[in-house]
Amino acid sequence: MEANNGEASGSSSKGQSRIQDGHNVLFRLPSGELKSMKITGNATISFGKYGSFNSSELVGQPYGLTYEVVDKKLKALPPKAMDELEETEATNELIDDGLIVQPLSTAEIEALKSSGVPASEIIKQQIESHTNFALKTEYSKEKYKKRKEAKYAKKFSTIEPTVFNVCEYWFNKDKGRIHDIRSDTLAQMMNLANIRPGGKYLAVDDASGLIASSILARMDGHGRLLTICDVDSPPAYPILVHMNFDEDMINSTLASLNWATAEEDYVPSTISSLSSVVPPTEPQDGIIRSERQKQRLNKRKNIQGTLAATREELFAGEFDSLIIASDYEPYSILERLAPYLSGSGSIVIHSPSIEVLSDVQAKLRADPQYLGPSITEGWLRRYQVLPGRTHPLMMVTGSGGYILHAIKVFDDPSANSVLAVKQKNKKPKVDNDEDAKMEGSSEPPAGETKAE
Amino acid sequence: MWSNEREIAAGDLVIVWLTREDIQPLIVTPGKELNLRFGHYRHSDLIGIPYGSKVGSRNGRGFVHLLRPTPELWTMSLPHRTQILYLADISFIVSYLNIKSGSQVVEAGTGSGSFSHSVARTIGQDGHLHSYEFHEARANKARDEFDRHGMANIVSVTHRNVCKDGFTVVDKVDSVFLDLPAPWSAVQHAKKALRKDRTTRICCFSPCMEQVLRTVSALNDAGFSDITMYETLLRPHEVNTTPRLPTAGEASARLKGAMARREEKRLLQVAASQRKRAAQKRKRETNGEDGDDQDVDEQAKGESTEAAKKLRVDNDKPEGEDSEETNVRLVPTEGGSPPAVITQPALSSSQPQIPSQIVISKVSHEVRGHTSYLTFATLEPALGTQSNAEALVATIAEPEPPQPPTDQ
Repeated sequence: MEANNGEASGSSSKGQSRIQDGHNVLFRLPSGELKSMKITGNATISFGKYGSFNSSELVGQPYGLTYEVVDKKLKALPPKAMDELEETEATNELIDDGLIVQPLSTAEIEALKSSGVPASEIIKQQIESHTNFALKTEYSKEKYKKRKEAKYAKKFSTIEPTVFNVCEYWFNKDKGRIHDIRSDTLAQMMNLANIRPGGKYLAVDDASGLIASSILARMDGHGRLLTICDVDSPPAYPILVHMNFDEDMINSTLASLNWATAEEDYVPSTISSLSSVVPPTEPQDGIIRSERQKQRLNKRKNIQGTLAATREELFAGEFDSLIIASDYEPYSILERLAPYLSGSGSIVIHSPSIEVLSDVQAKLRADPQYLGPSITEGWLRRYQVLPGRTHPLMMVTGSGGYILHAIKVFDDPSANSVLAVKQKNKKPKVDNDEDAKMEGSSEPPAGETKAE
Repeated sequence: MWSNEREIAAGDLVIVWLTREDIQPLIVTPGKELNLRFGHYRHSDLIGIPYGSKVGSRNGRGFVHLLRPTPELWTMSLPHRTQILYLADISFIVSYLNIKSGSQVVEAGTGSGSFSHSVARTIGQDGHLHSYEFHEARANKARDEFDRHGMANIVSVTHRNVCKDGFTVVDKVDSVFLDLPAPWSAVQHAKKALRKDRTTRICCFSPCMEQVLRTVSALNDAGFSDITMYETLLRPHEVNTTPRLPTAGEASARLKGAMARREEKRLLQVAASQRKRAAQKRKRETNGEDGDDQDVDEQAKGESTEAAKKLRVDNDKPEGEDSEETNVRLVPTEGGSPPAVITQPALSSSQPQIPSQIVISKVSHEVRGHTSYLTFATLEPALGTQSNAEALVATIAEPEPPQPPTDQ
């Protein structure tokens, strides 16, 4: 455990904390906007008015730093501290809203910018010529400076591609692509599904691969994820590219089937040909003609082998959890996949609308192979915490969708009466039950106690 | 950490699920008995049956489900030594701090171990949770518990007042979680524990806003950036299957019926009072004096109520039974409010079938409104550590060819 800093943890973690050639990097611009760019060799990265630079300058840098672009070169900046504001007597009572307060014209500002004057200097000049700046409250002055900085500063930050950050990026950019899954909701799904290194999971990810990315990131190469998709080629999970996972890690952890190949009584033509006595993949005359043909046949054989093995893996069952964020009706998915869950396995279904889930819950409650189905909705509120200016953000997201959670159990219709199991080996009654419970279990349970 | 086997074995920790509100941990110990309100069970009878099984009691008093422990079930069933963290906060913190397989994490204090179990599960054998607790008895109890749960190699508990004495790790961990009464006094120590070669993160968990403000200021002074704060909660939704809602048309039909019956009743009353008047008239004519009007009125009133009762339709067909027409049942209610209508829709083969039952959901009446504020901050990698990278970049730097931005 007491390993050195550099190699303290798992295989791909180290690679993920520093920018490498070929990485997809998220950038935060002074305007607050996020941009995704791929680092490729010596390409120029341009952020328009925020400057441009050679992408190779970022290679080897740790994620999470802020840079200033000076003469097309990057200068890493120290972390920016928040400024304490002195309360003053100023109020806005003397500020006339209609007055033109900035004698510096747009043309003059443009001239300053093109002459290479740093942003801080332009802002300083603007403040000096601002007729009413002194009348403003300190809060208002601060806001003014921040607004100007967002306009002129040639700065940007790199953002570490954590699942949280990638989810936030997509949720703000196009939440429809990720099934309306918000970061808090995704986090709850991962915990409810008991995602851990070494686990074995089944997922239906119609959220552009956000679920798969999150599970793979948590397992970091240890464990297995089998996804079921609705295309007849390996699923395109576009979110995966943001995670910059190691290709080998993905290949050893992730496998996929589609709704047809995931059916036990469906025999894909490729597999039937593989298992038949005379494999038609080989030419009828038994002679392999060219090297290319040989390669093609081998490749085909490999694909067939992988498909057959993945199917066997699914049908063998004993998956720890089933995670669903799908555009298909969830109960129809459950009917197909729940049999492959282990006893006590977790079922986690996400939907942007509650109606879809409440219908499923009504069905699960009537079915003794599902225990404790419950629907929850995440609620999240972010605060600005600047000194003296702490308040919730003015604009928040409405909903990150709903989660249905249930536990797969084995029913025993006779269990209502007497214990049928092991009735034969009756043993004499030994000591009392109090020690049988764990210490403290007489305390009230964590949840609110309600009458049954 | 806990059993991965299919079947329950002696010595396993299992979660006994009685009801949603009554979930208990149990260590399977042959020779012992478990006595619950849902019957008696012998531990030895539980050995060898698969996790997730429903098990009936020996005395036929009910059944329980035996579940494989997860940190989430453990949180719902654990013995409380302190106020504990729940799913919404735990999962959000784990996600924000980017805790995953192999992560090195500091936690203070250990408390009841609700957060510790979740983190231990997530980081696995390759990670480590350095947990600190200043209450000695609680630290010992937690250590024993982690040991029993097979987590001793993942979690180490140190009895220590971290606000005064700091942590025992330096430049090592990926994230720090502080659940302390005065987290601001441990912020500088936390900074020492965090590794400096990459972005690391801290979360401070405080129920009160005053604590948040002091913590924010301490984080700022210590050089943390991206300071922000969140509140997160779970809103449970209750789902119920109920008869479909009656339509306004059905209300109208009922009212029309009621009004028709009232008219009928009025006519009956009119007829009755006419009969009375005729009778009184005859009486007066025979007696030659005024009769007792009051009594007659009362009598008429009584008659009309009787009539109204007879008109009440009371159809007691069992629910869900198919019927060819809509049955409207008027249930008289107290206090003059309109009668509740229970309807069964008309089913006919020619019409599309209207479901008689609908599924509705609403937010539970009483929900948790606040747990704690989650203050997060980032410690950026130290600028000194990139000298190698800069040197590397300098050697490969070439005149840049003009290229369009590779925006995607």
